[in-house]
Amino acid sequence: MILNGQHTLPAHPKTIWDLMMDANVLARITPGITRLELIEENVYKTIAEIKVGPVGGAFTGTLKVTDIVEHEKFSLVVQQNSRMGNAQATVNMLLEALEDGLATNVSFKGDVKLSGMMATMGQRVLAPVASMLSGQFFEALKKELP
Amino acid sequence: MGDTQYIGKSVKRVEDKRFITGQGRYTDDIQLPGMVYAHIVRSPYAHAKINSFDIASAQSAPGVVAVFTGDDIKKAGMGGVPCGWQLHFKNGDPMVEPPHPLLIASGDTVKHVGDGVAVVIADTRANARDAADLIYVDYEVFDAVTAAADAVKPGAPLVHESAPGNICFDWEIGNPRAEVDAAMATAHHITRMEYRNQRLAPNAIEPRCAIGDYDGANDRYTLYTTSQNPHLTRLLMCAFVLGLPENKVRVVAPDVGGGFGSKIYHYIEEALMIWASKQLGKPIKWTSTRTEAFLTDAHGRDHTTTAEMGFDQDGKIVALRINTLANVGAYLSTFAAVTPTYLHGTLLQGLYTTPKINLDLKAVFTHSTVIDAYRGAGRPEATYLLERLMSKAAIEMGIDQAELRYKNFIPPFDGVTQPGYQTNVALQYDSGNYKGMLDKGLELIGYQDFLKEQAEARKQGRYLGIGVSTYIEACGIAPSAVVGSLGCRAGLYESAHVRVQPTGTVSVYTGSHSHGQGHETTFAQVVAEYFGIPLSSVEVHHGDTESVAFGMGTYGSRSLAVGGSAIVASCQKVIDKGTKIAAHKLECSEDDLEYSAGTWTVKGTDRSIGFGAIAFTAYVPHQYPKGLEPGMDFSSFYDPSNFTYPNGCHIAVVEVDIETGKVKLLRFAAVDDVGNVINPMIVDGQIHGGLVQGIGQAMLEGVIFDEMGNQTTASYMDYAMPRADDVPSFELGRQVTPCPHNPLGVKGAGEAGAIGSTPAVVNAVADALAPFGVRDLEMPLHSEKVWRAIQAVAKG
Repeated sequence: MILNGQHTLPAHPKTIWDLMMDANVLARITPGITRLELIEENVYKTIAEIKVGPVGGAFTGTLKVTDIVEHEKFSLVVQQNSRMGNAQATVNMLLEALEDGLATNVSFKGDVKLSGMMATMGQRVLAPVASMLSGQFFEALKKELP
Repeated sequence: MGDTQYIGKSVKRVEDKRFITGQGRYTDDIQLPGMVYAHIVRSPYAHAKINSFDIASAQSAPGVVAVFTGDDIKKAGMGGVPCGWQLHFKNGDPMVEPPHPLLIASGDTVKHVGDGVAVVIADTRANARDAADLIYVDYEVFDAVTAAADAVKPGAPLVHESAPGNICFDWEIGNPRAEVDAAMATAHHITRMEYRNQRLAPNAIEPRCAIGDYDGANDRYTLYTTSQNPHLTRLLMCAFVLGLPENKVRVVAPDVGGGFGSKIYHYIEEALMIWASKQLGKPIKWTSTRTEAFLTDAHGRDHTTTAEMGFDQDGKIVALRINTLANVGAYLSTFAAVTPTYLHGTLLQGLYTTPKINLDLKAVFTHSTVIDAYRGAGRPEATYLLERLMSKAAIEMGIDQAELRYKNFIPPFDGVTQPGYQTNVALQYDSGNYKGMLDKGLELIGYQDFLKEQAEARKQGRYLGIGVSTYIEACGIAPSAVVGSLGCRAGLYESAHVRVQPTGTVSVYTGSHSHGQGHETTFAQVVAEYFGIPLSSVEVHHGDTESVAFGMGTYGSRSLAVGGSAIVASCQKVIDKGTKIAAHKLECSEDDLEYSAGTWTVKGTDRSIGFGAIAFTAYVPHQYPKGLEPGMDFSSFYDPSNFTYPNGCHIAVVEVDIETGKVKLLRFAAVDDVGNVINPMIVDGQIHGGLVQGIGQAMLEGVIFDEMGNQTTASYMDYAMPRADDVPSFELGRQVTPCPHNPLGVKGAGEAGAIGSTPAVVNAVADALAPFGVRDLEMPLHSEKVWRAIQAVAKG
């Protein structure tokens, strides 16, 4: 499943970048995340509670930040396992300064591969759920802005 | 059939009392002392290698009795579930038959989502389910392929190393391809279609269930299972999978809530429960969830086809040329090899005199749920192909769709004074009046009036369409010698045991299984009629290998034609013996006796003796013919001499909303020739059910996979089943051409509805959209697809 979208935030890319690279902030703003623990540089262990359509429950897995070009772009490599199935995703994040750095356009593009019950039962409703979750993420990120 | 007491009467079903009062006894209703429950861990991946299992946490979870993985199965050295029919490549090599293990072991690869890898057995269903989540299977995931057309492309992921190009076998039937090509070259007009007859899930209302019960004291096994053919399941499980002696194994298929083909096959869970029950010394129950049913019950259809039909200047068919890829899924299910071949290719003559026919077919493995016979089994695919081609050709050539069929029908023949009709695709039709069938159908629907109504509606911007479909099917499966020569690993006869009790009541034991068909009523009607005794004096038993001698089960619309004929043979033995006893009692010659209405009478006198008195004498043989054995107890095996050939005409009327593509099915008329009818109400019910399933394929149903090989339609939120408000009240007609080669003259009615109806609906929509230039439509006819078809033509 292809995921993509973009949000404009009223801050400089550097400000956004610093927030997004802060594990404490990420843990606060990512929907469903109950635990985010740095286990090595740029690799986090995660526990999340997410409900997708008829299936929901606890996901455990890892989140890796790779291909870092500071203040500009990075990729998230996500592997999540749950009793409802597994998800693997690579999401490319791009930060572009707008209006001479007064605002930033954050765009993301990724491919999600699902298996198990989540794929069988949840796929139909996953795209709108993903869109809703990303919306919640960016709303929360906006509130973190200084 | 002249004056009858029961045959031809709509007797209410005797089994319905228990069904409609909730007292049916299904496999899952069976509770045995000390029973434990199994949950099967299934692969979430369509194609992956298992590196290792970690079962330690599951083993110590609350209530867990045992955990077995594919490694345990491998260690035990068990065979996989077999295929019951062997075909050969065109070059004579045997088809590729990869093993289908009960569970996949580490080091091996899973081949579809839902492939079993481990089983957890616990004191409750919930504990087994919870512990299953604690099992960690380390998979290495590979690319998967689920569509046959993709699987045969160079470089496609391989399902089995032993099947290069994912080809299970290739096969052809009919006239040599060169002859068909030559005939096609002379055609004045060629109609061509490229399409997919989509994959369907069978959806019996009762999910599969299996209980394994090992009795250590007697070293005996009992399997309770949701099966259409318990003897066949026992045979396959004992001989091929577990290596058990059959006399130590009892298989019981109690009340079964629908099968439609999906409960014919021997499934891994059945053998697994028996094996595990012996390991643990406890009865074990496994019950499928609905999503497991979507993932593991054998699917139906899934043909990818290119077909061409050539016509001469007068609209007579000159040739039919077909290339088909038949998806068989990840493994070969019990009848997977025969469904797309001998149950499909042999029906491509249809009702037409087509002089040259050739089908070239490849059976293809994919990383998907197995495909096998589903209501109609190959014959719906053949009928869809022929009937869509006919109606499409009619539009292309500007000939009325009924007229084009009349031009091409095989002339009427009764099979008695006239010989059967030899087709170009191996079968010899027994009897039929196909023109009469279409006459009746057109009259029932009011064809000429409809055409006027349609023309008027079009002027008002309303688009009505009518779709004609005629079909023939080969049922009453089947002469054992014939199917044996075609690769069947079983005989397809049926057994019947008729036991007259001392007071004249009758117990009948049949190898046919009833799971919605109403055998307990129809078979009792046959017996009561033959003996001239009350229906309430007859009881029919089925579904238990311990009480029934043998049986090949219920599928292919065979129960009455084959199983019923075996019952008649046993009834005749009873009457013959009764005549001997009656002659002795009445002190006359057997030739002087006639039997009627439950009484032997000395011709031309009032001296007579009743059925009950003769039965009593047989068991209390004080005044008895010398040398005659006591008792009144006969079994018979009936092996048919030919298939039976039900046929019919189905006509649909639809309205299409051009703005949205929404199709509304307004009317549906079906005229079927199922031969003699024992119980018209039950036959109508069978036709109704079949029609709804056929209409379901045309309008609603379809299994869809994502690129990872996940089924995204594995629940009732996503798989659209037809409901009562999707179909109109059916208008049924009947033509009776008795089958000339079985004693009841019956042909079979179980599959007819699902065979003729699908193309009728699609033809009707194509007819409605003909003014727009729409010629091809893809099933299911969801409004989006219909709307897109209209737009595609509008855009040129």
